[in-house]
Amino acid sequence: MEALIRLEKVTVAYGSRVILDEIDLEIPTGKTMVILGESGSGKTTILKCVLGTLHPVSGRVLANGQNIATLDDDELLRFRQRMGMVFQEGALFDSLTVGENVAYWLWEHADLSDEKVEARVRTLLRFVGLEDSIDLKPSDLSGGMRRRVAIARAMAAEDPAFMLYDEPTTGLDPFTSKSICDLMRRVQREFSTTNIVVTHDLTDAYRVGDLFTFIKDAKVIATGSRQEIERSSDPFIRTFLSLDS
Amino acid sequence: MFENPLSLVSGIIGTVQNFTLMVARSFRYIFVHFRFRESLLEMDRLGVGSIPIVFLASLFAGLDMALQFSVVMAPYGAINLLGKVVATSVIRDMGPVLASLVMSARVTAGIASELGMMATTQQIEALLVMGVDPVDRLVAPKLLAGMVMLPVLSVVGDFLGVLAGLAVAVFGAHVPAPLYWSGVRTALTLPNLLNGMVKPFVFGFILVSIGCYYGLRTSGGAQGVGRSTTKAVVYAAIWILVANFLISKLLIDIWGWKL
Repeated sequence: MEALIRLEKVTVAYGSRVILDEIDLEIPTGKTMVILGESGSGKTTILKCVLGTLHPVSGRVLANGQNIATLDDDELLRFRQRMGMVFQEGALFDSLTVGENVAYWLWEHADLSDEKVEARVRTLLRFVGLEDSIDLKPSDLSGGMRRRVAIARAMAAEDPAFMLYDEPTTGLDPFTSKSICDLMRRVQREFSTTNIVVTHDLTDAYRVGDLFTFIKDAKVIATGSRQEIERSSDPFIRTFLSLDS
Repeated sequence: MFENPLSLVSGIIGTVQNFTLMVARSFRYIFVHFRFRESLLEMDRLGVGSIPIVFLASLFAGLDMALQFSVVMAPYGAINLLGKVVATSVIRDMGPVLASLVMSARVTAGIASELGMMATTQQIEALLVMGVDPVDRLVAPKLLAGMVMLPVLSVVGDFLGVLAGLAVAVFGAHVPAPLYWSGVRTALTLPNLLNGMVKPFVFGFILVSIGCYYGLRTSGGAQGVGRSTTKAVVYAAIWILVANFLISKLLIDIWGWKL
């Protein structure tokens, strides 16, 4: 299957501290790749490289065959318009209401009337089950509701080609975590997005993932389907799997 | 404990470079992607919201200056010049500097903490991911608002300061009001008015741009927001005083020692 996002020998370092060391990764179109590893292992750095907010010191990050590092500021902004990102705590704009947060992309990039923007916002909020919260401020929402609004906001672009999730269930109770994972699956199914999910929670990883990558000591130590990962003899992966079970 | 001189120099060069880039991009956005609604909102927040404190500061500065000058001038029989001296000091220097310093406590601190909180809660990254340049959305409207509103506030503050001076002149130094006003009128010269307009324009730029710069570069949670805010307010105050001296010197060089 064609790879929508590809990392080729990507190295990221801050001074002498290497965060990612010659990482190779391929995320096929329409699939969900879950990146697993310990805290501080460089998982989120991979997302930053894909977003283009961090440039590797060597290697290439390709999206649709385009090298992200070679894009100028305007091209990068246009490239990001086709991308949805759900941040760890939601990163909702706290000065705006839920509805305004979801409408923000449309205000900035779509030439739509106020009525059409509101209709789209209501559709998205209905999709995530929060239409009644349209006038609330982010500070009035629970952690799970904030993630749902963040997902709705990330989908506001007409056709987001890919969705990136940074620890989308961290800090949530098991019920809410499951409902967020179900929602992520629905997004992938109904919008045919290519997804990268960063998490350290194996249960949630299995719920949303098609492919799994383990990062340790700045390197990819295994990539594959759930069955392939579970057959791995790598001591770190065996420990990771046994601790979660 | 002491920083390596080489890293100190490279840090300063990096700061100047990043600050210049941010400012250049802001001006580009002001001219090529003007955000009317956001700019008006910022003018309301930064300017209209600061009216009470700027006016209060100008009022008491005018009162105090008239009081001090009357004490110094009375023994020399120069009390009839009180209006001119108070108006000249207020318009040329005290008005713009005081308004800017008071504004820096409110506006620079407010901007640095607002943007700092946005940076630490990934809201700035969220803007970038949504294809919106934070400099376009957040910095440019604030910068424009600062450069427009500070001169306006400064002019009204100057008038209040001069008016407060009249109260001291009439009731404290027993200077007749017409004499005070004729002195004030002689102070309304082109060099003085130019001083009074150029300075707040530049100070408005300084206090907003420094607040935005340190706000956007905040990291490290609540402690980081506090650090950025403190740095922004301190540097804004220092640069306002430095710029005040440089503009005064430049305008005196251009106009000579005319009042």
